[in-house]
Amino acid sequence: MSRTWLDNAFWETPRKVTLNAISATVEGNKTTRKVWKLDKLKDDGTENEIFKEVVEFLGVEKIDNSSKKRLEKKQAEAEIDKHKKLEKERAKKLEQLFAYKLETFEIDQIKESKNRGLKSKLRRAKSIPEVNLYAILIIQDSMKNEGIN
Amino acid sequence: MKELTKGFVVVASRNPNFYIYACNLMDSIRDYYPDANITFFTEERFVDHRAEELADDVVFCGGHYREKLTGMSQTPYDITMYVDADMECEHEDIIKVWDEMKDYDMVFHELTEDRGKFYAIRQFDWENGIEKYSLCGGVCLYRSCNPLVQEFMEDWDKLYRRQRDGSWRPEGFTNTKQYDEDLKHFDQTTLWWLTNKEPKYKDLKIGFFEDDIRWNYFSQYDYSGCDKGEKPPILRHYSGCLEKDKYIV
Repeated sequence: MSRTWLDNAFWETPRKVTLNAISATVEGNKTTRKVWKLDKLKDDGTENEIFKEVVEFLGVEKIDNSSKKRLEKKQAEAEIDKHKKLEKERAKKLEQLFAYKLETFEIDQIKESKNRGLKSKLRRAKSIPEVNLYAILIIQDSMKNEGIN
Repeated sequence: MKELTKGFVVVASRNPNFYIYACNLMDSIRDYYPDANITFFTEERFVDHRAEELADDVVFCGGHYREKLTGMSQTPYDITMYVDADMECEHEDIIKVWDEMKDYDMVFHELTEDRGKFYAIRQFDWENGIEKYSLCGGVCLYRSCNPLVQEFMEDWDKLYRRQRDGSWRPEGFTNTKQYDEDLKHFDQTTLWWLTNKEPKYKDLKIGFFEDDIRWNYFSQYDYSGCDKGEKPPILRHYSGCLEKDKYIV
């Protein structure tokens, strides 16, 4: 029976006192893999022999490199997730804005208004306050046309 | 040689909200394409002054859920761009729509795998295998002056109505539960059948819009994952997000 360590081990903390590693133990034709979370020191303050074994087997440089790669991968994934979340929020907002505009267009003075320019600006508005602003302008325009001050 | 007439067909039936969506769509097309020809099929009970102001022709239609197919088959134009009512035009490239006809008979938006998650159903059992819808009927540019295309549109309408009421059932749908629950009510099923299994239409040249996502940009495409291309949407589709049965006002 012999135990080796996969070279994707990584430091769990920047101070390199906790290590995450996977062992592979070969017994006859069977290989067993096990995930280890190893502290440098045991509870009683003595050195953790398995931690030492991994560091000696892989070398600090290899563990540093795989830790760096893993961190970069995680950061990239987090960035993609953040971007997706923002996109989804933006899409939902756009859908709500569309529904709001349709409701605004059903206000009688706006529905009846012949001012294509302002109505077009309302349709292209990028936010609810902007919709409201153009709605007010259209209503003012229709009141002006009706001779109401 | 007589110049071909080109115009948009918009349809609003059954639910009054669709009339409101359709007016907004026509208005938005006119924002970017003031001289567009538009024929509007809608129910007489919905009509107010907007229909006549926004459309060149208003044609009264029935109250069927998929009256769009009747509208498509009754287009007055030689080249027709059908657009679902719950869409909005947001780009000046709408004016270039006729260039997309190229030498095709019909042009669609493609229902790809990554877009598929936003559709009710994309793949289904057929005979001993799996088939997929690949054409999305939200927009359709078609050569309506071609008699075979005209016949296609009439068959799509006629067969869909029969499919829905159960008097016609396309062959090969062996998964009865799936057919009855998901496929029978769907005009996409009829479209798939006609374009893939009906010999009469095998020679029709069917293509996709260039940058096809721009012509039928589902608002949910921004939810995740899809390749959205580089250019901005021309027609945005608010299909999945609107509360169509709830009164807007």
